[in-house]
Amino acid sequence: MNEHLKDWKVHALAFVLTLIAELIATQRINLGITAFSLFPMLYVLVFGAILGGLKVIPKEMMETASPYIGISVMLLTAKIGSTIGPNLSKVIAAGPALLLQEFGNLGTAVLAMPIAIFVFHMGRAAIGTTFSISREGSLAVVAAKYGLDSEEGTGVMGGYITGTVLGTLFYGIMVSLLCNLNLFHPYALAMACGTGSASMMSASLAAVVDAYPAMEAELSAYAATSNMLSSVDGLYMSLFIAIPMVEWMYKKFTTNNKHYKDGKPITKKA
Amino acid sequence: MTKTEWITYIKVLVITALFASIGNWISTIRAGTGNIVTPFAALPGLLLLLFITLAGLVIYNLLNKVFGKKNLPAIAYISLIAIIMTIPGFPGAEFTASSINKIGLLPLCTPILAYAGISLGKDLDTFKKQGVAIVLVSLFAFVGTFIGSAIIAQIILKLTGVI
Repeated sequence: MNEHLKDWKVHALAFVLTLIAELIATQRINLGITAFSLFPMLYVLVFGAILGGLKVIPKEMMETASPYIGISVMLLTAKIGSTIGPNLSKVIAAGPALLLQEFGNLGTAVLAMPIAIFVFHMGRAAIGTTFSISREGSLAVVAAKYGLDSEEGTGVMGGYITGTVLGTLFYGIMVSLLCNLNLFHPYALAMACGTGSASMMSASLAAVVDAYPAMEAELSAYAATSNMLSSVDGLYMSLFIAIPMVEWMYKKFTTNNKHYKDGKPITKKA
Repeated sequence: MTKTEWITYIKVLVITALFASIGNWISTIRAGTGNIVTPFAALPGLLLLLFITLAGLVIYNLLNKVFGKKNLPAIAYISLIAIIMTIPGFPGAEFTASSINKIGLLPLCTPILAYAGISLGKDLDTFKKQGVAIVLVSLFAFVGTFIGSAIIAQIILKLTGVI
């Protein structure tokens, strides 16, 4: 039994970090044209990175904590699942356009994977970053499939941090620009807002509503339903379609590529 | 899973649930809406989350014997059980959904990411090396999902005569 008690420092630190982060609470940063929020879960990541960078946390503790992410994230999976059941009938009633646009979420890979390989010569971290928009559910998928301390894990964690810090801000600006281009009908734009992240959806939807204020009610309904659909299908879409697809793309793009050898990027000498 | 692994899993799950309930409490106080959820009020939801997770792990382990390496990850079963238990009409679905709903998504993420934060230090070098690329590629992924969905929605809405 003793071996199960010797990791108490890891849990104690996790508890202290959680307490401090929740006491600081969500902070809304207003920049006039746009606004974004910083959440407690972001603070704990930053605290950890700082303490780790300063070598305050011994390496042994880091290694002990690593598999605990994959275990604790299971509770999150259960929580997300419990929000899906009550909405299942709405999914069926959603209509063909709403249902089929879900496959557009694979656009993450279609657009970002070629850039990751041909522009940045990224390693397998590219798989973690491009199969989704790297929200909480994606962390769970990668933790289960590759482990979060793998290269794929680094990729999805990086995407997660990027999305948490810049996501709402970025979506707000990008969607405003797209509205001005007049390429898409506002309904299509509203449906696209549902990416599976509530905060990113709100930011995107705000931009669409700002451009087409008369349609606010329909636009909100489409965006919310699409977002709900994405959170329903997200996990299964990732496991069965998106990850096999990015694995295939990675293999295809890195074979006969002069920057890669045996599926790994060739590191340049500094 | 071995006996030691089971003990580790149960230990970490219970501890995380406990931390989340305290974090959730603080978070509901700080939100200032007066809708405060004490750890005691969150208890049924926490026990349900633990039950669903453990049930998913049991199924995963049983199916491991059948499928071996072809088995889906445990989270696929955990998610499925949570979905089924909250579909209206399933016994106690409303109670299950409303009890779990007392624990916010964000406060539940905080202790999980605290473990991630603690272990982050050992991956810091990889981050430093690939950081800029990962940030930019993430942003392209964000653009990709939006444009992808918008294109498909536009085509289907046109084809079905909605617009």
